[in-house]
Parts: sequence; structure tokens; C-alpha cells
Amino acid sequence: MNAVNPMRNGLLELAAVTKRFAGRAAVENVSLTVAAGEIIALLGASGCGKTTTLRLIAGLETPDAGEIRLGGERVAAAQQNIVPPHQRGIGFVFQDLALWPHLTVEGNLDFVLASGHMPKRERKARITETLRMVRAEAFIHRSPAQLSGGEQQRVALARALVGHPRLLLLDEPMAHLDAHLKAELLGELQALQQRLQLTTVYITHDRAEAERLTPRIMLMEAGRITSH
Amino acid sequence: MNSALNHKRFRPRPLHTAACWLGIVLFFALCASPAISMFGLSFISDDGGLSFAHYRRLLAEPRQQSLLLNSVLLGTGASTLAILLGAPLGLLLGRSDVRGKTWWRLALVVPLVVPPYVLALAWTQWAGATGLPAEWTYSLTSAVCILGLSFYPLVMLATEAAARRVQASLEEAALLVAAPSRVAIKITLPLIAPAIAAAALVVFVLALAEFGVPGLLRVNVFTTDVFTAFAALYDFGAATALSVPLLLVTLLAAVLAARLTGEARLTARQSGRAGLALHLGGWRIVADGLLLFVLLVSVCLPLLALAREAASLSRLVAAFKDSGDAVLNSLAWSSAGATLAVTLALLPAYARARMKSQRAAQLFDLLFITLFAVPGTVVGVGLIGLWNRPGTAAIYTSPLIIVLAYLTRFAPVAALLLAAGMRQMPISLEEAAAVSGASWWRSFTRIVLPNLKSSLAAAWAVVFIFAFGEIGATILVAPPGEATLPVRLYTLIANTSASNVAALALTQVLIAVLPLALFAAFTHGKERAQ
Repeated sequence: MNAVNPMRNGLLELAAVTKRFAGRAAVENVSLTVAAGEIIALLGASGCGKTTTLRLIAGLETPDAGEIRLGGERVAAAQQNIVPPHQRGIGFVFQDLALWPHLTVEGNLDFVLASGHMPKRERKARITETLRMVRAEAFIHRSPAQLSGGEQQRVALARALVGHPRLLLLDEPMAHLDAHLKAELLGELQALQQRLQLTTVYITHDRAEAERLTPRIMLMEAGRITSH
Repeated sequence: MNSALNHKRFRPRPLHTAACWLGIVLFFALCASPAISMFGLSFISDDGGLSFAHYRRLLAEPRQQSLLLNSVLLGTGASTLAILLGAPLGLLLGRSDVRGKTWWRLALVVPLVVPPYVLALAWTQWAGATGLPAEWTYSLTSAVCILGLSFYPLVMLATEAAARRVQASLEEAALLVAAPSRVAIKITLPLIAPAIAAAALVVFVLALAEFGVPGLLRVNVFTTDVFTAFAALYDFGAATALSVPLLLVTLLAAVLAARLTGEARLTARQSGRAGLALHLGGWRIVADGLLLFVLLVSVCLPLLALAREAASLSRLVAAFKDSGDAVLNSLAWSSAGATLAVTLALLPAYARARMKSQRAAQLFDLLFITLFAVPGTVVGVGLIGLWNRPGTAAIYTSPLIIVLAYLTRFAPVAALLLAAGMRQMPISLEEAAAVSGASWWRSFTRIVLPNLKSSLAAAWAVVFIFAFGEIGATILVAPPGEATLPVRLYTLIANTSASNVAALALTQVLIAVLPLALFAAFTHGKERAQ
């Protein structure tokens, strides 16, 4: 079940990836392939290794064994991060959203584009366009602390999308929202993903949430993918 | 009671309890009265009427401008040096893979427990031995360097704490789009900058309030002039009027520091993961060199200079014997001061920690910081004005006045530390006690206090260390024949051989460092046990 997936045309490929913390395997022999434009959900209880998997894909952790490929390029192998996180072209929505509190909404998005050396005028247009897409253009000059939970959620998504990443990773982004808001935002996310044809890995512990988003659900238990 | 609880989330209301009110009133009455009385008395002329006479007289003196300039230069110079040394050290301890962090941290904190005038004394003795020109030894630049070296640990500890507190995901989110160097400059530094700035402001205020170092190095600043006006010229009016500009600058710096720490709290949260780690690699040797250099200059060399001057162990023993009474006085009164200060600070700190109104909480923080920043000489003259009356002579002529001085100066620090400790404690602990039927007092004594043990111990130790080195207020209020160790040391400098003074200063350092060494041994033992 955990053998290397022979399908070699995926945008994201994990082959027998293992990560240990203090001798304990957090992720063990995980292999998966996500095709371009596809959305998959990693479902599991807390501590099952799904966040570590996402962090390995992003390059925030280095695998102890196995390899990770993005768009056919080997980005990480055993004990080495070949391509650093900021060169992988990844959009990431963190569980706690991680909006930079000392920057405005515009500043948060601008940091992403300026880091990619985009000219200032283009950056402005891109920021406006992205914020409009997630219906957050009204908050452009506010600081994160002045936003509600749902508004922060939209801005975090906008920040992940503004650099036009080739892969979007979402780490339980709806965990702290109430059911009504969650349903609304999930609908929007789904529509956006289909429109942009964005390759997406979505992490959740809520089966209903996963089912609502995608038919392709992978169950994780004790660091292993137990069912596809 | 239960029906009310069912409908509304229970919150202890400390401000509504008589105990808290009483505690707050007593705290502010004791801690704020000397400064307030100084402020008031500065407007009373010699014949008892309301007037600006003292100010007119002082403003006419061109000397005032140089005093203000010197004071501000001393404060800015010391805080700049403290940032230059403390911030890189804090970052190394907080984020790098430098080895032996626990020991470096403990060793580098030593200057904080050694009274600054001991460093100044070591400097004058070293400079004397090497034949340095007196105008270099006794200068504003020397005073700036010594205070910078005394207070950099504050910036170091604040930087390290802030660097550790930054939520890891904030940096990770940036690492996904930017190179580590850009993340450090654009994300990490702005997030910890308020904490560094607040610590630097505290250093500014402490340097401004410092009496021992400028006094020893013959640098004329406001604190030394307050002392001279009062103790040498018996000009009470001038002393009070001189205190007011000092109080105003102190208040301004305290307002800024309180604002910055408020913001720092908003931006930084606890996090288990470390975000951006600083892998030193080939730079390790530079980092170790920096740590060693600061330790040498701020701890090892001054102590060596004193030890060389004291020359022998027998001199140390003799000095201890000669001034044994002063050592015992200092130990007893500092312990009493620390115990009373922590007790007095408990209720105001609790009120601060459990306040619902953000504005009131900020006001309390501001008051604590401002009161702590009131210079020792101002507190001393204020206490004399308040207690030197026929009705209170029993207190004024006894060592109690020294304990009162410690209480006034350092209970606000205890309040700041205790409030920080109480804020870490979830309110649900008290809510659980309340729904179990415990009264507020029972919940306070049986739930809050036992969970606050480490904060109580830390606050006690900090007040003890500060009190043990206190000189600005003590030198003014100490009754005849009731000297503390710092006062004995300070008065002996001019009257006895340098080696005796050095031996006494070493005694002071040893006693001050002892609790730190015990703490180190305790934590080391605990770590090994785990």
C-alpha cells in the first residue's frame, strides 16, 4: 500500500518519505501523487503526521528518507532540502493563519510579491485583483488585528494565492471557524480552486469538510497513509 | 450565586473587593508619595507660600543646561551601548546554535546583580594602576560605558525572550516566499524591535536615575546635584526643584516603554517551534568570541581589578570583619524590604492581571514603570520631607526608613513581575474554585498564590538584589550609625585605602552573585534529574 507510486506525471510526488522527531516517526514511508489541477484532502486525527507531511512538501522540514518532487524536479531527498522553501512556488495557509501583525493586509500580500522582485506597479494591480477574488478588497489598508476571524481567513488565502503558486497547501485553515462560516468559505475555496485549476493539498480532521471539498481523500494514521 | 453563574461567565472582580482596593491604595500611597511630595514641595517657597522661586533661581543658573545635557547624554549613551551589546547577544542565545547557552546566559547576567558603582570602582582602580589620565577616568564617556556594561543584560534578556516568543508560523510563512536574510530583516526584526526598544528605554531611565556611577566618576547630572543640593548645601528647595525635570523625562520614557511593551505583547505569542534558526557554521568562532569579549569586559576584568587591588584573602576577611555590621544590616533590611515589597505588590498586581479594561491595565503598567523609574535620590529627599516630622520620628530615626526606601523604590518592580506571572495563569483555575464554592480570598490564597510560587520567588530575588545594591536613597535616609554595605563602601572610598574598598566591593559582589550561583546549581540539578 505504501509502495512508491508508479504514476510519474503528478505535479507533486512523495516517494517513501519518512520523518522522525527524537527517534519517533512522525511520517513513515508516505507516498502520494497529486496531478496538476487536482485537489486532495489528507484526513486524520491530531498528531497523525498530516501537518508534518505538509511541512515536508513546503520545505519547512527535511525528510529523513525518501524523496519529494515538484513538477518533476527533485526538491528534497533524504537528509537534504535541495530546493529551499522560497523557491518551490508554494502557497501555504497556516492553521493559525500567521498573518504578519506589523504589516497591513496590503503589506502582507506585497511582501510575497516584492520577495519575487515584481515591479511596484504590477504588484499593486496583482494585490487588488487577488483581494477582489477572495472578496477582501475592502480590508486592504487594515491591520490583521482589526479583522474578524472570517476576514483574516480570506486575507490568509489571498496571501497564499497572490504569488500565483503552482501548489496550494492548506493546514486546517477552517479549524477555528463556526460551522456557518466554514460552509461559506469552503464553497468559495472550491469555486476558486476550480476556476484557477490550482493543485491543492488540504488538511483536516473533519471528514465532512474533506468530503465536501474533494472526492480524493487520503486517511492518515500514526504517520502512515492507510487508505486512498 | 449559581443561577448568576449559569447565565454569565464568572469573572473575579478584584476591584470590587475591599481587599484589593485597600492593597492598591496602600501600594500607591507608599510608592508614589515621595515623588508627589517632591513635586508639590518644589512649588513651596522658603517662607511657606506658593511660588516658582526655586525654579526661577535654578533657571537663572546656566549650569542647569549642562546638567540636562549630561543626564540625557548619559541615558542615551548607556542605552545605545546596551542595545549594541545586548541585542546581538540576545539573538545568539534565542536563535543560534551556540553551545552552552544556559551557562553563557547566567554568566552574562552577572553585571545586572552587581551594583553599577562596583564596576565604576573597579574601573577607577584599574585606571589608577595603569596610569590613565584622570580626565579619561573621570568622564562622561566612562560613565556611559560603565552603565552600558551594567545594563546590557536587560536588553539581552528582553531580546532573547522576544526572539523566542515570535510565533514560528509567522517566519515560516515568510520563508515560503523569501530568502532567510530577507525574512530576518523584514519579519523577525520588526516583530522583536518593540521589545528591544522597551528594554532600551528602561536602560535609559535606569541610567538617568543612577547616582553611584556619576557620583564616583564626578559627572554632574541631576541625581548627583539633587544629592549635593540636599546633603552638602542643605538647600531642600533646590533639591525638590531639581528633581522635577528628572521626573518629567523619566515619565516620558516610561510612557514610551509602557506603550512599546503593550504592542510587543500583542504581536508575540508563545510557540513550541522555533521559526528562523541561526545556524552559525563557520561563524561560530565569531559568536563565541563576542560572548567571551562581553563577559571579559563586563564581569571578569572588573572583578580581577578588584581582586588585584584587594590583594589577599586575609584583607577580604578583615574587610568583612570591619564592616560585618554593615553587611548584616544590608542582608537583614534587604530581606525585609524584599518580603514587604512582594507582599505589598500582590494585590495591585492581581488587580492589574485580572483587569477587563485594556486602558486601565495600561495605566497600571505605566504607573508601575514610572514609580520604578523615580531616581533614588529623589525618593530619598521625598522620604525625608515626608517622614522627618515629630510624629514620625520613631520611624525616621530607625532602620525602618531604609526598609521604606526599598519598598518605595522596588515594590513597583515586584508588581510588574507578579502581574506578568498572574497573567500566565488561566482565569479558569479561579473560576473552577469559585464554582466549587470558594470565596475570593480562599481562591486567592489556596489557588492563585500556590500557582505563583516561581513568580513570587523571582520577584523576591530581584527586589533583594536591587535593594542590596541600593545607594541613591539609602545614603540620604540612613540614620546615623545604621549604614548599609553600599553606603559604607561609598563613604569609605574617600577615607580609606583602595585595597580595603576593593575588598569590601568584592564582598558585595560575592553576596549578590551567591543567589545567582545557587539558582544555577538548582536549575542544573533539575535539568540533570530530568
